[in-house]
Amino acid sequence: MATSGADLLRRIAAGDREAFAVFYDWYAPVVFPLILRIVRERADASDVLQELFWEAWQSAGRYDPARGSPEAWMVMRARSRAIDRVRSTRRRSSTFVAPLDDAAAAVPGSERARDAAELAEDRGMVRSALERLPGPQREVIELAYYAGLTQTEIAERLKQPLGTVKTRIRLGLERLREVVQASP
Amino acid sequence: MSHEPFDTLAAAWAVGALDGEERAVFERHLADGCDVCEAELRSSAEALAAAARSVPPMIPPSQVKEALLRRITATGSARRETLPPRRLVWAVGSLVAVLAGAGFTATFVATRYEARLGQVAREAAALRASVQRDEAALREQIAVYQGAVDLLRDPATQIVLLRGLGPSPRANGRVIWHPVAGGHLFVANLPAPPPGKAYELWTIGDAAPQPAGVFQVDGSGRGTYRIGPVAGGQPVKVFAVTLEPEGGVPAPTGPMVMASVK
Repeated sequence: MATSGADLLRRIAAGDREAFAVFYDWYAPVVFPLILRIVRERADASDVLQELFWEAWQSAGRYDPARGSPEAWMVMRARSRAIDRVRSTRRRSSTFVAPLDDAAAAVPGSERARDAAELAEDRGMVRSALERLPGPQREVIELAYYAGLTQTEIAERLKQPLGTVKTRIRLGLERLREVVQASP
Repeated sequence: MSHEPFDTLAAAWAVGALDGEERAVFERHLADGCDVCEAELRSSAEALAAAARSVPPMIPPSQVKEALLRRITATGSARRETLPPRRLVWAVGSLVAVLAGAGFTATFVATRYEARLGQVAREAAALRASVQRDEAALREQIAVYQGAVDLLRDPATQIVLLRGLGPSPRANGRVIWHPVAGGHLFVANLPAPPPGKAYELWTIGDAAPQPAGVFQVDGSGRGTYRIGPVAGGQPVKVFAVTLEPEGGVPAPTGPMVMASVK
């Protein structure tokens, strides 16, 4: 009974609610930490998660297995809905201390983050794939992917030439592909 | 084949960092149809998905799934031809989520949800059965206590003390006894009976001892037993406990281990 995510999406497209429940159980635990990392509030993350899966229920028929795995489909949407949520929250309140800025300030390649990663490794814990990238590459990818900054914004923030930022992003993604292929 | 500048643009686009004129250029290029860039974006999306999977999974609050299933039930039947609800499957589904949560936080389950799921479902079914058994036992126990409390409220109810005798001097017990409704026996410090044996309670009035039921004690020597009313409402003068064969006997044969204090 090797059901795949693609099978589930096919059944969901046909209105199969059980398939949806299984699909949720498989993918919600994967996308929830990502959403939470981006929006930072558990209540907001829960809202985004619900909208994400509601959308999946409605648009499962448009999923095309030739264009990528269901996981990639869900993760891409999760990231983009989470970023949308943070932007709209930031728009709604001018006094709001934007999580995106917090994330940008806190996350990337900072000593503390690196220490935590090394500590995790010392304890024999799995390091997440991004933690295995060289610091400068990891930094730009995290600023873009988690904090929603564009390459121009990243260059300004890091006081680096735009070309450097672009190169780091490209090399970082190449490295990430190697890392995840080496340890699936 | 060099595909610059699109390789670099594709990478920035994949992490959502492409902006301004470059973004417009790249998206036009994509719209024109470029297999190289499409493959590139696909591969980046898979790598980012794998990165998301490489962090410890987190079970979201259960209300999210509940709300989704409600929403689907509310609108789904109007919109689609749907199967009849299968609540059991859903219930198992939520249990699976709960169990998976415990498992996921303990160990980093990065892949292979499929294989785990079958196992988790079996564990969930076993847990479910065990929870049902526990629930039934608890209900039974609550009914006993409730009955005892009800009896205590009745002015006709008496409390009779029992004392250990002969082989079990440390044993003690109480009977909450109502002349019409019957009562409850509570014992403590009564040693577990030898294999094949059990304790039997007797009510003694003016005639021969009447069997009032067989009971067991737990590992700590405690036992609780609901005593039915005595046939014909005969008054009880003495409660006694003897050690008897497991199935119980109609008249006492074994040693008396407890009796009510005069």
